[in-house]
Amino acid sequence: MIQVFDLNVEGRELFSLSFGDIVPYFSVYTGALAAFVIIFILIAIFSLPERQMNIAFGGDAYYAKEVNVPDMRFSRFMAIACGAATLGAMVTGDIFNFTLFAVMVGITNIGIVAASGNKHVLNAAFQYGIVAMLATVPLFGGAALILATTGSLSIWVLAGAGVVPLLAKALLVLGVMGEGIAPLYIGKAEIIRAQGAPYVLMIHFSSLLLFLRVIEIVLVI
Amino acid sequence: MIHRISGILSNFDNLSRVYAVLIIIVILGGIISIPSMEYQGDRLYPKTIDRDSPLDPYDRGGEPFERTEVLAEYPENSPELGFTTAYLTPLAIALATTTPHMGTTIVAHPGGIIDEILYVTRGLDTVVETAILFVAFAMASYLYRRRDDE
Amino acid sequence: MITPFHIGLFAVSLCILVTFLSFLKEKDDLHKLILTDLAAIMALFIIALVGTDLAEALILPGLVVGISKLMALAEIYLVKEGIQQKKNSTVLDIEVLDTAPAILAAILVIYGIILSGFSGGAVAGLGIIFYLAFKKHDEKFELIETVSGYAWVTWIAAFFIFLIFPSQWFLAVMLAGGGILLKVMAKFSLIGTMRGDPGV
Repeated sequence: MIQVFDLNVEGRELFSLSFGDIVPYFSVYTGALAAFVIIFILIAIFSLPERQMNIAFGGDAYYAKEVNVPDMRFSRFMAIACGAATLGAMVTGDIFNFTLFAVMVGITNIGIVAASGNKHVLNAAFQYGIVAMLATVPLFGGAALILATTGSLSIWVLAGAGVVPLLAKALLVLGVMGEGIAPLYIGKAEIIRAQGAPYVLMIHFSSLLLFLRVIEIVLVI
Repeated sequence: MIHRISGILSNFDNLSRVYAVLIIIVILGGIISIPSMEYQGDRLYPKTIDRDSPLDPYDRGGEPFERTEVLAEYPENSPELGFTTAYLTPLAIALATTTPHMGTTIVAHPGGIIDEILYVTRGLDTVVETAILFVAFAMASYLYRRRDDE
Repeated sequence: MITPFHIGLFAVSLCILVTFLSFLKEKDDLHKLILTDLAAIMALFIIALVGTDLAEALILPGLVVGISKLMALAEIYLVKEGIQQKKNSTVLDIEVLDTAPAILAAILVIYGIILSGFSGGAVAGLGIIFYLAFKKHDEKFELIETVSGYAWVTWIAAFFIFLIFPSQWFLAVMLAGGGILLKVMAKFSLIGTMRGDPGV
């Protein structure tokens, strides 16, 4: 029987928490990811929002856009929630729990830019939101297939056994693609027009880390 | 050709369509592998149905305030496993003795197998799920109020 | 060996194909929004196929995720399209809509409280939505949000009691059942307040 921490991807076990059937674990890999998330949550909490500049073409004139304080607070709240969801997704030891955290990352990503008044940004956020909602099908589908074919959802049990069907793994990766939308950057490029640099940063960061984690999960199970 | 593809990809109105194509490809590829899958889903929390029980279809046996056998993933992590499954509220007991048709109503009461899974062994799932609900409503109500102010 | 599970899996694959083919055809944003609900049901379909008590418990999170995302997206859609409610009349001006909501809402709320727990919250919340959507209401937003906040705290407290003091499981079950009833009910009834005239 191969243990999780015997596999090359994971590294040593640092420690694990137990919440009933769901046992999050900190290996060298997930622990490092979790540390990054904590740094970025702190950045989101303490940094001041950017002031976007508008430059008038054909002249030297430029002016700063106003920062709307309630909107900024809302984006900051969403950025912190997004950080918390990412942190959960990094360390969880259960497939279904991971998919739920991924869904939460998707919805907080929309929330970060939802306060923006820019029509283009909102349209991009809406299109992205549709994809994030569609992504629940492959995410939950992948998790349900794993439960049906192996009889377990715990990464600890599935690790190294190699019994998870390829379809379930493909669905999981596809689902994370939809929530974090990393390869489909067209939607995001438009979203970045929204104000608030440190908060918008969280969108990229969370999807990058979700990807790193899902690759780890797919390699381990 | 590449020009056309990048033209489609660069329009974010096509985002859901691109994603739908990806899913259709994966599902079409996956259909072939379905017969090779084996069903082993009843290893955890299997469903047993006893048609004669007033708690049908959720009768999992056990006396209130006694331990019941529950097939959890890590029984050692929940020392009081099975107590929630066996518990019935007084109202639930009253319902069970009067009619055999209220099993679904009774299981929605505090206690029972679904509560055991939702609150005890997989409590973190429900925490995340209510957090998602909370975030979504925070978004909707913030946008709604701002729309009102305008 | 083809079991009912395999037949179900084939059926589910076909349904998913149909769902996503519809996304290939659809261009209108509002229709896309409605179709996402169909997709959310497909996710529940696969989970239900497992057919154990665990699957039944996993359906609840799946269902709630679908509802809450649809809610948030719908609000973004309204802002994006610049749709503002300006008219002062209610949806339909029929006598039945003045009298029926109160009775139906009362029945649903009472049955919801009898059910208690998660599904009870959903049923009772539905009753309150029904009431608030058709009746004139004052700004009950604040109150509902406060209730929902306290319910949230109760619920989290119950979760930690289960983990740290498992011997107090009875208290935790009661707290969790009551907390989640209030919480889901409050969240659902917020939809009802959003329906009405702005600034009433």
